[in-house]
Amino acid sequence: MTTLMTPPKESDSSNKSTRPSRASRSKVGRWVLFFAMMVIAVVMLYPFWVMIVTSLKSEAQFLAGQGFSWLSWKNLSATIPIGQEVLSSTIVCSASILIILVVGLPAGFAFSKLRFRTSTAVFLVIVSAMMVPLQAILMPEFVNVTKLGLTGGYFGAILVYAALGTPFSVFLFTTYFRGVPDELIEAGIVDGLSYFGALWRLVVPIAIPAIATVTVLQFIQIWDDLLVGLLFIQNTSERPITVGLAVLAAGRTTSIPELMAGSIISALPAMVVYLGFQRYLVKGLTMGIDR
Amino acid sequence: MSERSAHMSVMTSSAPRVRRMTLRRRRQVAGFLFALPAIALVVGFIGVPIGQAVYYSFTQWNGLTSTWIGPSTWAQAFHNSNLWTALENNALLLLAVPFALGLPLGIAVLLHQRVAGWRIFRSIYFLPTAISWVVLGLVAERFFAYQGTLNSIIHALGFSHVNTNMLGYESTALSALGITFVFTMIGTNTMLFLTGLATLDPSLEEAARIDGAGSWRIFRSITLPHLSRFIQLAFVMTVIALFSALFSLIFVMTGGGPGYATTTMEFLIYQTGFNQGDFGTAALYGLILFVLTGIVGVVQLRLIGSNE
Repeated sequence: MTTLMTPPKESDSSNKSTRPSRASRSKVGRWVLFFAMMVIAVVMLYPFWVMIVTSLKSEAQFLAGQGFSWLSWKNLSATIPIGQEVLSSTIVCSASILIILVVGLPAGFAFSKLRFRTSTAVFLVIVSAMMVPLQAILMPEFVNVTKLGLTGGYFGAILVYAALGTPFSVFLFTTYFRGVPDELIEAGIVDGLSYFGALWRLVVPIAIPAIATVTVLQFIQIWDDLLVGLLFIQNTSERPITVGLAVLAAGRTTSIPELMAGSIISALPAMVVYLGFQRYLVKGLTMGIDR
Repeated sequence: MSERSAHMSVMTSSAPRVRRMTLRRRRQVAGFLFALPAIALVVGFIGVPIGQAVYYSFTQWNGLTSTWIGPSTWAQAFHNSNLWTALENNALLLLAVPFALGLPLGIAVLLHQRVAGWRIFRSIYFLPTAISWVVLGLVAERFFAYQGTLNSIIHALGFSHVNTNMLGYESTALSALGITFVFTMIGTNTMLFLTGLATLDPSLEEAARIDGAGSWRIFRSITLPHLSRFIQLAFVMTVIALFSALFSLIFVMTGGGPGYATTTMEFLIYQTGFNQGDFGTAALYGLILFVLTGIVGVVQLRLIGSNE
């Protein structure tokens, strides 16, 4: 598990020099390879092409199949309350991730360094909660949160997202902190730090990569999610962007070019985060299997 | 047992025995308190609802009032043809899993050849992973639509009289959903396999090549065995996604239709609960889904566990 602290292996450049035979392979082969990769790239970029090209048409131009205009972009805010929906998504994402971190960090510290009686069993129970799909407990969950009076605005959804994200963050932080030497914590305690002080001053600063991994993974997960936002945020004025798009799309009455324009806006933040923090995502995905 | 080893490693000072006991006790109390919020959140929002689902699965429940019926609710549920349709749809969608693993494996191997610009290709291949499946569903709908890209391609190939409308017919809608699912899984699985390939020692490959092994033989005898753990993980993640992450795609692309052609277990739960108001049956269906993913989950836990 200590591999978490090493730099990502795939992005190193040292491999280049150790592959002489690759370079000497036939030039034709290389071009075939390059061509295949171009074809795949076209397929993977297809959604973006559809979104951009379609959004640059008016409804009439879209139906006619020719012509371009900015009309759908100009009308976008009239059809979809895009600013408010992006704001809602941002609020829900930030609050959920904050809870996931605030709850997950001390728990990971406890399960790795401050073990108590039954802590191993408790840890296993929490980790196995990762495997419970929301749909499996959807009905009781919905009724419980409704009874708490939290399905109107953001709070219900935030709590549900936090609960669903916590098992993974606990797992990731626990495995990460196992790589931190016990002596470091001991020394802190001997120097008069409280356990909370040790967590805040010693553990959190070295956990930044793990915190980044949890944040990036959860951001994309929550930003892109539909089910929780759809059911647990009943006020249409507090709808996240993904829910707004999905409801309009399912209604089958909204202009498709405008939906595509909205899709581009909803996709942008997650793409930026994704491209900027790719390596943290890879680490998070391969947790527990990377040697 | 783990508790004792942790105790030994932290308590190395030569303080008096009484003092040591209280220190140990303090550490345990601190540990418990630190873990408590996470425990409370998970138990409150995941553990308790599982128990409630079991109870409510034996009742008639509309979300407000519930009446106890007993085990006959389960017998009744299994007589419902919608449940069998949904289970069948899930089973049929499993046919997409080999493609959702095989294509990314091929793509990862291509990327691993590291031709000029492979980093840019890598970023491009992973990019759709960032977008919501709601958006990908919207795009897929455009792809399969009567005036969509699929028909344009078919016409460009010379079959101008052929027109498909895969999402419009019961016989083809599920295939369209499966194809979309494969596309949405490519980024994640390619990323997993590429990480696996990066841990492969290149000198092994070189040695095999010097010994006269061909590319295919190297792939089968060296690359594939090395990737087995990554393939297992990707398999588990793909199957779990198949059972519990298709909601967005179905909601946007088909709404479960035409008829019940694309209604999977997770969508049936949503429909039964929120469209028909039958919370009891929906809770019961939820438990069936829970068992199905639980089986896959046990495999996953064993994978993680065997590594520690």
